[in-house]
Amino acid sequence: MKKRLDVLVCGGGACISSHSHEFKEKLKEEIEKAGLGGELNLVETGCMGPCEQGPVMVVYPDGSFYCKLKEEHAERIVQEHFLKGRPVQELLWQAPEARRIVEEKKQAPFFEKQLKIVLSNCGRIDPENLDEYIATRGYEALGTALTQMTREGVIDVMTRSGLRGRGGAGFSTGMKWKFAYDSQNEQKYVLCNADEGDPGAFMDRAVLEGDPHSVLEGMAIAGYAIGADKGYVYVRAEYPLAIQRLNAAIAQARQAGLLGENILETGFRFDVELRMGAGAFVCGEETALMASVEGLRGQPRPKPPFPAVKGLWGKPSIINNVETLATVRHIILNGWEWFAAIGTEKSKGTKVFALSGKVTNTGLVEVPMGITLGELVYDIGGGIPGNKAFKAAQTGGPSGGCIPAKYLNTALDYESLKALGSIMGSGGLIVLDEDSCMVNMAKYFLEFSLEESCGQCVPCRVGLKQMHALLEKITTGTGTMEDLDKLESLAYTVRATSLCGLGQAAPNPVISTIKYFKHEYVEHIRDKRCSAGVCAALFVAPCVNACPAGVDAASYVSYMGDGRRREAYFQHMQNNPFPIVCGRVCPAFCETKCSRGKYDQPLAIREVKRLFAEYAIEEGFGFAPPARPHKEKVAIIGAGPAGLACAFYLTRLGYLPVVFEALKVAGGMMKVGIPDFRLPKDKLQAEIDVIARAGVEIKFNSTVASVDDLQKKGFAAVFIGSGAHQAQALPIEGSDLKGVFSGIDFLRDVNLGKKVSIGDDVVVIGGGSTAMDAARMARRLGAHNVRLVYRRTRAEMPAQLEEVVGAEEEGVEMDFLANPLRVVGRGGRAAGLHCIKTRLADFDDSGRRRPVPVPGSEYTIRASAVIYCLGQKLSLGLTGGKLSLDRRGHIAVDPQTMATSMQGVFAGGDAVNPSTVIESVAQGRKAAVAIDRFLGRAGALFDKPRQVVAVQYDEEAYLKTIARKEPHMESPERRLAYPGLEASRGLTLDEAVEEARRCLHCDRVQPPQKESVAAETVAIEAML
Amino acid sequence: MKPEKILKRYGRSGDNLLAILHDIQDASPEHYLSDADLRSAADYLRLPYSFVHGVASFYTMYSLKPRGRNLIRVCQSPPCHLLGSSTISRELIKVLGVGFGETTADRLFTLEMTSCLGVCGVAPAMMVNDRVYGNLTAERIAGIIDDLRRAQ
Repeated sequence: MKKRLDVLVCGGGACISSHSHEFKEKLKEEIEKAGLGGELNLVETGCMGPCEQGPVMVVYPDGSFYCKLKEEHAERIVQEHFLKGRPVQELLWQAPEARRIVEEKKQAPFFEKQLKIVLSNCGRIDPENLDEYIATRGYEALGTALTQMTREGVIDVMTRSGLRGRGGAGFSTGMKWKFAYDSQNEQKYVLCNADEGDPGAFMDRAVLEGDPHSVLEGMAIAGYAIGADKGYVYVRAEYPLAIQRLNAAIAQARQAGLLGENILETGFRFDVELRMGAGAFVCGEETALMASVEGLRGQPRPKPPFPAVKGLWGKPSIINNVETLATVRHIILNGWEWFAAIGTEKSKGTKVFALSGKVTNTGLVEVPMGITLGELVYDIGGGIPGNKAFKAAQTGGPSGGCIPAKYLNTALDYESLKALGSIMGSGGLIVLDEDSCMVNMAKYFLEFSLEESCGQCVPCRVGLKQMHALLEKITTGTGTMEDLDKLESLAYTVRATSLCGLGQAAPNPVISTIKYFKHEYVEHIRDKRCSAGVCAALFVAPCVNACPAGVDAASYVSYMGDGRRREAYFQHMQNNPFPIVCGRVCPAFCETKCSRGKYDQPLAIREVKRLFAEYAIEEGFGFAPPARPHKEKVAIIGAGPAGLACAFYLTRLGYLPVVFEALKVAGGMMKVGIPDFRLPKDKLQAEIDVIARAGVEIKFNSTVASVDDLQKKGFAAVFIGSGAHQAQALPIEGSDLKGVFSGIDFLRDVNLGKKVSIGDDVVVIGGGSTAMDAARMARRLGAHNVRLVYRRTRAEMPAQLEEVVGAEEEGVEMDFLANPLRVVGRGGRAAGLHCIKTRLADFDDSGRRRPVPVPGSEYTIRASAVIYCLGQKLSLGLTGGKLSLDRRGHIAVDPQTMATSMQGVFAGGDAVNPSTVIESVAQGRKAAVAIDRFLGRAGALFDKPRQVVAVQYDEEAYLKTIARKEPHMESPERRLAYPGLEASRGLTLDEAVEEARRCLHCDRVQPPQKESVAAETVAIEAML
Repeated sequence: MKPEKILKRYGRSGDNLLAILHDIQDASPEHYLSDADLRSAADYLRLPYSFVHGVASFYTMYSLKPRGRNLIRVCQSPPCHLLGSSTISRELIKVLGVGFGETTADRLFTLEMTSCLGVCGVAPAMMVNDRVYGNLTAERIAGIIDDLRRAQ
């Protein structure tokens, strides 16, 4: 009977684990209570796909898609939606990127790009009801095959359709059937491989649980084609629900005469039995699977003979994967031409992928073969949570390999994946982000294969063990470069000599991570560093590990928790002499890795720092110059963050360095690049004074003609921290007009007090910090209309979010997805900027979407000034051409010592690689140590063994959800009224201390003695 | 159910061995296969005892030593690992006071690892007997164990 509403509750394994049964029962109760029992169908279906959103439910005819349902929602849904026809908006799926509510299931981006064939019934029918399957043309294909097609005809259709095995190897299904058909024997078998074992792949489970009859129908058709009367489904014991539903389906099919004797009155006989595995991954290998069905240990044997010739009990057999068999009926029903029209040249049809790992929408998706990896991860998967960067995708589980960001445009099919060194496998796709360590991942997969090795052949049993031992060394910081070579050669040996697929494929994760991420292996071996912050043996805490300069945030935050500002300051100064500056403008790499972020929100480390930095200045803390300085003279070119950091640490090493600064002021970009409203000049100056008083002489207005000169003047070592003060040119017509400036020139002139005329309509080009500073400065200089033009979207802007928000608050308008074409001039002055809209298309090598112009979308913005902020470059005069440069035109250095190609000359900061203050400081400090060694000393700088800071406050009280404290901001009106006013007032001392106490103390090797510290485990987790 | 009764439901064919062992183990209150169980299966199927022992020890889901009334299996697949299964493991060890492969003194729980449970969409996950728990957090563990204890 046709009912008013169809209510489909997902009964997939994942949703059940999120209590979909309990919800369904409650819903049923509410429906009865409302007297609606006769008006709607309440059905439990198989997996609908978006497992992360579970439990999920669809209501037809309107298609409302509910997610994350709880029992308490049932009443409202019945009262509002089922009775009054108003879907409960806040329970519908929120599409993350568009922030729109997905009312109709089809509109969700998750579903938009999918094409469901194998999964067409999953989530649509009741898997335990044969009638519902038949209503979707179930068993019609079997009928067609038996009554209208010859056995050869069925095989021919399968071959022409181009269907290839979905278990991973991708062998032609039609050919496989043909081989078994050709083998003469009274007894043949059809085996269904439902021993889905690839970690991260769960499509077979979904099909078995959601549409079991489709597998049985496929098996019966296969049996008819090859001449078999018996089939076995070999299913994992880990899937009890699948076993239950499959058994029910077999019983129903037998009862309906669709399995057993004389099927559909055609005389064809075929029956299916279920065989349960018992926890052995290797049984997914077909020869091992057959051994297990026979009741033996599941050990593989060499091929040939292939199963089609000698299979189960020595009889010709075919072994097909669940997904393959579930596809068969659709090909018979719709014809091979239909199927072959989907997909790529050599990979036809659709493929089910199981998205998991660091992706927003985890779950099952079915897409046409040939969809790009980027579409799968970003359009369907919704991208990476927390705005983190995509690092790689692992396909094929422990038998596959990884695909790095530069291949996001790869069309996924059997051939392209193989070309990249991975495999399709059964379709598991694990997304890894910047917080994933590839070496750890390779070790992890190897561990898996090692455990699952059946132990029969030596390469797999012993070789994998040796490989694992080498990886263990590397991830704990004791590996050598020879170990890496050994690892790689061993990997190829195991691959070439193992008996079965498990051993042959087990080294793949190692081989492919070495291929694409060798630098991560080298980093672990040479630098004893894991920049992803995973290999816990290599660092003290994630925040310390994340800081380019290795500033010990874990210690100073602990000090601040007890209000010990003095200790915090001196701790900080060991790695970075600019706490005032970094307490304001640092992008805070430490916070992006803070473990507290996994619990509630990351600690506001930067704001905490600001408090002790100011205190130190107020109290006049300082450092005495070396009492008995070394006699060697060291020159530093440029008083920016790199040069001053190098100088400061040289004083701590016993030198009295001389800094040559071309300008009349010190601070470099901190002074002339960053406006007062972000970094007040007096605060910066106070910090520079501390450095100067520590034994640094700064010579102003001193342009250095050449490094040789300095060496001739008796400087034993030279550090170049001259920065990159020349702007990248604006490569469009009209850039030479009056009123067109580069951002850094504009900011420098303003910061040095020059008068700059910009008029009322200012257009800023760019999306980085300089662009934000320039736009906000333009507003402060009185320009009413300030518009920013950026070629990508707000989410891709390199500027820090707080800067973007600050600019928006101050009335800067932003044109995203727009690119400048030319500056329009009038009378030799800029009068406008002609732009074109862009759209984000495919991915570039860095994994970012490329903006491409949209034809016909040109428009012009009025502009009295155009300020372009496209990055900086080096203006090298002083080196006299003697220094080697890297391919981007910066000074080439040894990253360990910052040594240049000239003896005794070191370099750092923007001259080496334009970047942040903290990265420049790190390089300056590193160079100071290297200079000390170059001059024959030990380079011993604050190298006492680290001590864990003990705290006095009650830690337990902070192990509950506590919101991160955000700094107090001046109102936008006040900011514009007082252009020099610092926009942020920071935290109060009390607030900073409270904030510091949120620290989870990941630096403690032993967890605190207190019991039930849930957050503590979260903290440790971050290190794994 | 007595092992003898279980055996009678199957034909005397070697390919039934895995299913027989599953059934006997499921019927055992201590979720394991005793020496006597293996012998009776071997006798029934007319297989050497050594062969049956070889099969039973090959597959990880059979246990040859007694286990607790509830089997807790933590998924060790990579998606679960990525999303924090090691935290869950540590918490279980803490709450139960036993390590992996061990049984609590009150014989209520045995803690084990399992290969992929196929619910990667709600990782990290574990299975207690036949029930799957997904989207686990360390905080939820103690509550789940308490509920199971109370259900006894």
